Amino acid sequence: MESIISTGLIGLSLGTQYALISIGFTLIFGILGVINFAHGGFYILGGYVAFTLSHTLGLPYVAAVVIATLATGVLGYVIEFVLVDKHVNDHIATMILTLGIYLVMTTGIIGVYGPEPAEFTFPVSGAWRSGGVYMPYSNLIVFVVCTLAIAGVYYLIFKTRYGIALRAMADDRAVATAQGIRPSRMFPLAFGIATSLAGLTGALVTPILALEPHGGEAVVTKAFIIVILGGLGSVGGATVAAFIVGMVESYTSVYFGGSKGALALFVLVLVILLVRPSGLMGRETRKA
Amino acid sequence: MKPALNTASGSLRVEALAKHFGGLKVFDGISFTVPPGEVLGVIGPNGAGKTTLINVMCGMLAPTSGRVVLGDHDITGKSFHAISQLGVVRSFQQTNTFRSASVEENLFRAERFSAARRGPDLGLPALLEEFGLARHLHEPSDKLPYGLQKMLGLVMVLAVRPRFLLLDEPVAGLERRERTQLDRFVEHAREKLGCGVLIVEHDMELVRRLCPQIVVLEAGRLLASGAPDEVLSRRDVIDAYLGATEEE
Amino acid sequence: MQLNRRRELSLDLWAVLLLFPLIAVPFLTNNSLVYSLTHQVVIGLVATLGVYIMLRMDLLAFTVPAFMAIGGYAAAIVTKSGSSNLLLLMAAAFVVPALFAIPLGALVLRLKGTYFIFITYIFNEILQLLIFETPTLTGGSDGIAGLPPAAMFGIELSSPRMLLLVTITVGIVAALATLAVTHRFRPEFSSIEENETLAQSLGVAVWKYRSIGFIASAGVSGLAGFALVNQLSTAHPSSFASFSAINYIAYVFVGGRRTMLGPVVGTVLLVSMSNAFSSQAQYSSALFGLLLIAVVTIAPGGLVGTGQRLVAALGSRFRGKALASEPNKTHANGEHV
Repeated sequence: MESIISTGLIGLSLGTQYALISIGFTLIFGILGVINFAHGGFYILGGYVAFTLSHTLGLPYVAAVVIATLATGVLGYVIEFVLVDKHVNDHIATMILTLGIYLVMTTGIIGVYGPEPAEFTFPVSGAWRSGGVYMPYSNLIVFVVCTLAIAGVYYLIFKTRYGIALRAMADDRAVATAQGIRPSRMFPLAFGIATSLAGLTGALVTPILALEPHGGEAVVTKAFIIVILGGLGSVGGATVAAFIVGMVESYTSVYFGGSKGALALFVLVLVILLVRPSGLMGRETRKA
Repeated sequence: MKPALNTASGSLRVEALAKHFGGLKVFDGISFTVPPGEVLGVIGPNGAGKTTLINVMCGMLAPTSGRVVLGDHDITGKSFHAISQLGVVRSFQQTNTFRSASVEENLFRAERFSAARRGPDLGLPALLEEFGLARHLHEPSDKLPYGLQKMLGLVMVLAVRPRFLLLDEPVAGLERRERTQLDRFVEHAREKLGCGVLIVEHDMELVRRLCPQIVVLEAGRLLASGAPDEVLSRRDVIDAYLGATEEE
Repeated sequence: MQLNRRRELSLDLWAVLLLFPLIAVPFLTNNSLVYSLTHQVVIGLVATLGVYIMLRMDLLAFTVPAFMAIGGYAAAIVTKSGSSNLLLLMAAAFVVPALFAIPLGALVLRLKGTYFIFITYIFNEILQLLIFETPTLTGGSDGIAGLPPAAMFGIELSSPRMLLLVTITVGIVAALATLAVTHRFRPEFSSIEENETLAQSLGVAVWKYRSIGFIASAGVSGLAGFALVNQLSTAHPSSFASFSAINYIAYVFVGGRRTMLGPVVGTVLLVSMSNAFSSQAQYSSALFGLLLIAVVTIAPGGLVGTGQRLVAALGSRFRGKALASEPNKTHANGEHV
């Protein structure tokens, strides 16, 4: 019984991490029409920046995380402004473009840090134990921080004028532009916010899991699954799907082990797509 | 006007057609008939649901309820390309061609894609000459002026050999003097293929010229139907248009 | 970029023709580095053609490594069951992935193009996992090793020279298949690529052509997988890693996505480059990345497309007929407004 709860708690923690990444990915896709293949790159970059600041320069971990978040956000802003902006809405072009950016980012990271994994440890060790239920403090802290971040993003998207403008752009760009909302201002900022979420997640999670240059690849795959499952372009869908994926992963890896868990996940996604092609909360998909 | 030999008899009928998007009702309870080889006009103020009507009839959208019937064949809910292959083909309000392909290539593709490859000669070269497209045959279609692109779009639809044409604001954006080309086009289509034609339009002069029968759509319902002179002098039709100006 | 059916066909034919001289390579030299490079280029090209076919309809297929794996493993399993006839193996390597493509295509091809990208990406992952989870059939993480090479007329084609000839033969067959499919359906594919709505309005059953392309792409990818397995005498999951899809995609975008010549140019160039950088693999990765960025931002037609534009611009300079040889063809840039 206790292990079921423990596994569930881990699943929730995973869910929040995946949610942060997927919400960012969905924002970029839904608002800009860009498939950001470099999303994993921002994630791992967040980890490396936090690593350098805290382990090499000795800054407190919290400060390192904050700075890493800002740094990846700024980088995302600049990249969108300089490279991506002209090709917004061209799915294949932006995918190739961000793919190229990802490759350059990864090479840059290997150039600076070398190909071996870095020794990045979470500052808080130990675990919370209560009545047989076990959860490492690191996961707990990450869970709390991610949840707060998700709440922050939701507030931004659904409660602020900026967020409403973003959603208007996602819904119908022509109408939104006619209303005076200007994409040239909104897009880099939206992109930067999304990448900062990825960077934040990286800074938090890589000390727990692993920090190595190719760590971003798996992130993109996860994001793809979650976004398909949740429905392309739906932030709510991405959040729900992220938790489903987190829980399924946690339980299958504890109780079934190894690749069977991942396989179960993919099969689940396929089955859901067969039944409901637009994903859990997606919009009507056009018939070919 | 004698219909061409290869068209099957049968009209294009719409029965109690309705389209809702969630809570938003676009139109409801629409019924009318386009007899084979005849022209029907569809008019109404903006936002009345005319373009959505064409979208539903041609299969781009599925209706919420009601039927679309071609001859004896219920074609409701069939896919866009299937309905086109059955002979109900639409044109687009905006210019719509294969942009980087030449005029010649565009027509080649339209003819090739047609489900009814065989049939009497369509006389396209003469039509191209008349519309001023003949001398642009090898130019990419997106380099052509707006009016020529629109006419190319129409000729392409003809090249598919339809039984019924659904024309969505075919002269929108055309100069006054270019608009009579549509008369020629419709005449040609009826002569060579015995096409029935449904025209959604704002140009009242054109509607009066070409359509012996019209229906009026207003706020999602069929307000009136009949001959243009009669319908356009009705009080409720005029009220529906109050404030809306005729397109020049 | 003005489309021109004749010109595109001639570039496609050139692409196929360029493969034939490669037959001379195994007879001109014994250098194992040259052999290795030629294997890589030809196999890479075939895989890239798998991407190219779908790109003709503006669909990005990440499935190539997965179908390579299916084709390669199918051939390996047939070989282990006793027959190593080259023609039989090639047929298996083409047909088995094509059969897989039918249900997968039915699932994804009716939906929007973006779903296609995502799901094909995931499909690779699924296949890798399936390979690991079915050790009795596929040898799991060990793969199937020690395969006898393909044979013709009862003679094992086992010498390095023969192995290379087999790869080149597979390359030519795959190129011809690609030519056949893309040429036969060129108007449909191009129309779907350019303006799907218009194509449908004219009666094109888009999903049907997407399926045809997808099945052909799967078969061609399967052939690449077979060539790889035959060269290595081993079917191993690491040969078909998901990320290798990136390479093939890079080859076609850098080379040019409009004609078959693009994949040829891109593969030759990038494979040679990454061989030159072989000691520092990450630099070739960065180079690929920079080239991809360049293609999207400044050279959308890739090398071949940019080359065509240059030639057309020069041609109009001299007011002559540039590439086209027929008298009634004109260039858009050649016209005086």
